[in-house]
Amino acid sequence: MNPYLAGVGLGLTLLASFLILGAGLGASAGIARISACMELCIARSHTLASEYFGKWGDAPLRYYLVFMLAGIFLGSLLSALLANRITFSVERGRKCTVRKRIILAFAGGLLVGFASRMANGCTSGQALTGSALMLTGSFLFMLSLFLGGYLTAWFVRRQWND
Amino acid sequence: MINTLFGSNNLDTAWAFLASLAIGLAFGFFLERAGFGSSRKLASVFYFKDMTVIKVMFTAVLTAMIGLFSLRALGLIRLDQVYLLETNLVPQIAGGLIFGIGFVIGGWCPGTAAAGITSGKIDALVFMLGAVAGSALFNEVFRWVKPFYEMGGRGVLFVFDSLGISASAFVLLFCVTGVLMFWLCEYVERRLSRTGIYWNTLFLKSFSLAVLTGAVAFVAVSAGSAPAAGTPMTIDPASESTLLESIDQAQDHIEPEELAERILSGEKDLTLVDVRPYGEFAQFHLRGALNVPLKDLHQSLAPYRNVGKIVLYSNGMTHPAQARDSLYRMSFRNVYILTDGLDGFIQKCLTPTSLRREPLSTSMAAKVVAWRAYFLSPPGQSQSTPSADLLQPVMLDTDWLNSNLDKPGLKIIDLRSQPEYNTSHIPGSLALSPENIRMNRQAVGSMLQPVDMLAKHASSMGILPSDTVVLVYGEKPHDATLFAVALERLGHTKYGILNGGFTKWLNEKCPVTADLPVVTETDYPPSETLDTFTVDYKTVLQHLQNKSAIILDVRPSDYFNGKKSDEARSGHIPGAINRPYTEDLQKLGEAAMFKAAADLQKSYASIIPNKDSRVIVHCRTGHQASQTFFILNKLLGYRNVLWYDAGWSQWSALKDMPAETSPNPKP
Repeated sequence: MNPYLAGVGLGLTLLASFLILGAGLGASAGIARISACMELCIARSHTLASEYFGKWGDAPLRYYLVFMLAGIFLGSLLSALLANRITFSVERGRKCTVRKRIILAFAGGLLVGFASRMANGCTSGQALTGSALMLTGSFLFMLSLFLGGYLTAWFVRRQWND
Repeated sequence: MINTLFGSNNLDTAWAFLASLAIGLAFGFFLERAGFGSSRKLASVFYFKDMTVIKVMFTAVLTAMIGLFSLRALGLIRLDQVYLLETNLVPQIAGGLIFGIGFVIGGWCPGTAAAGITSGKIDALVFMLGAVAGSALFNEVFRWVKPFYEMGGRGVLFVFDSLGISASAFVLLFCVTGVLMFWLCEYVERRLSRTGIYWNTLFLKSFSLAVLTGAVAFVAVSAGSAPAAGTPMTIDPASESTLLESIDQAQDHIEPEELAERILSGEKDLTLVDVRPYGEFAQFHLRGALNVPLKDLHQSLAPYRNVGKIVLYSNGMTHPAQARDSLYRMSFRNVYILTDGLDGFIQKCLTPTSLRREPLSTSMAAKVVAWRAYFLSPPGQSQSTPSADLLQPVMLDTDWLNSNLDKPGLKIIDLRSQPEYNTSHIPGSLALSPENIRMNRQAVGSMLQPVDMLAKHASSMGILPSDTVVLVYGEKPHDATLFAVALERLGHTKYGILNGGFTKWLNEKCPVTADLPVVTETDYPPSETLDTFTVDYKTVLQHLQNKSAIILDVRPSDYFNGKKSDEARSGHIPGAINRPYTEDLQKLGEAAMFKAAADLQKSYASIIPNKDSRVIVHCRTGHQASQTFFILNKLLGYRNVLWYDAGWSQWSALKDMPAETSPNPKP
């Protein structure tokens, strides 16, 4: 799809979210809630006593952004099905082994999961939503994100390059 | 006017969940359409190969920005209907940097990883698991991250305010930057990857024109309406002159006596609003007043608009008067300000007859007595309590005590050690060791004494029920709060703590002496019925099983976590929240001080849902927990705070009590 039109589509979705929910888009909060739920299953009282997850109580999945995350899965599945784009693969550059890619994907996820909690949002909740609301902190988050990305890109270039 | 689910406080309903699912569906659809189900495509933005990420993000942001702010300028939605993220500089910048590093290493972000998973990308699934682990890691290390978590907090801050320009100017600037970025992205792609298929096409030209037109349209719409911040409104000259007229006729004032009469007569639909900062409100306020910060006034008072009377007060008159004008413009026609504010009220209505220069008529004197009884005693207390001779806040500063030293009815209790007291103390103060008011009860070694013994202590120190008691500590504020709890048990509510204790008193060169005061013993009446806040382990167990209370364990973290232990078992009560009592204190030079009430309020608001939530505080022996009890109950006005005096020393020894334990550390 034309990226500009996809962008307009995303922007209108975000606008609808503002007008209906009164809150923007979010993805990392859903992931964090799932994380809290899993930790509750493993160590219930420890999780309830913990300062960050503890405040979500014993039913962390009862939260609108968890449902939004479920929607993201469904919507992208629909789009991928329609475009016949579902292929099982580990995406990587030609010179990168599957093992290395998996390790890096996990490491990247770990950093992103942590950073999203630190900044109270990710590319959806801070960069898209917060910037559309013209919030200073969200713009700074986005600028720092690209700064961090461009500064690191050179070190992991072999993962992506052919 | 659009009311959102957030604005109507319905974000946790089934409808909101369904709406979120639908919005997520559209979100996921467009993410996948944009090609974000591929990590190589996402990552290639960092190598200037495929700039789709930037094109899509810029377009999405400016579409939603122009859309939302145009609707707002047209008066269709207010910004208080939208959840606005606060700016916290340090975590947002640090988080952004770490996020960017993770993004290029992992190749995904949370939303796109979901799109990747449904496209069959195994690396996306692994990334998502990493993000789940990263969230859990954050929770586990939160205690160390916490100092940075709100650092650089600026509240809700708009970027145009940060830059010192108008919202319109920023939107225009952002859209122009966006268009330039689009062309730059296409150019870079064309040069480096021979793609950039939209470069100089009719599509990109039209699209750029559309964006700029949108921006200009927004500027035009907002120029016709509101100033940048706040709610859109038009100033209507007719309404302004009615406002001025009402001020001219003093229809905007209410006299203190009239207010007192109305409140005492139990007038319904009278909303009394204290607009002072929370700290001042917590120290003293007129009974029944709500505390609303000025900036939240419109929103908080909306339910009372043109219903009965709203009376605003502060110390003086300026702030409430400005607030009233603002409310008037928001079509509130029932707002009054209290003439001469709280100071005037105290002077006119609460100054005892004996301290007045002009004599009062008998009927007026009787009213003053009634008003004093009503406004100076906390709700729920008997109205016949002898009225205070001092209007005193709970947290006292050295200046206040220094200027009130000679007042009759003031009793100062010094809780430092006896040698320290004998060397030098505040003139007129009496020594008391905190250990003297504790004893062995039901095999627990350090329980607060029963009320008859406490009454004996009070009697021998010459305290009367009508006295104002000032508590002075040395290094440990919880020495003073333990005696505060003893006073609560006696039903004695007129007391305050000298913030900073004797150390600050001495540092500020206030008077000291080594003379012992003369004491006339009194007969302080013990009353068994007043202590409803001390609970035993059975009550704690019951609330634990019913999940009907928040349990706050105020011991140092190492004891809570079981790294250290002085008791039968190490660890804590299951589900307890650890809030070490030391977190409520700060140092001023050598002096241990309580943190500002507003700060404490903020900290506890994140732990305890509301002022009526049931909270049980405990520590090892009840001593440290007395401080948290005092802060919550007396300083911050939590209404349902219980104190488990016997604490962990008893709980850990009762083998049947459930506990989250760890092996006892080696001594």
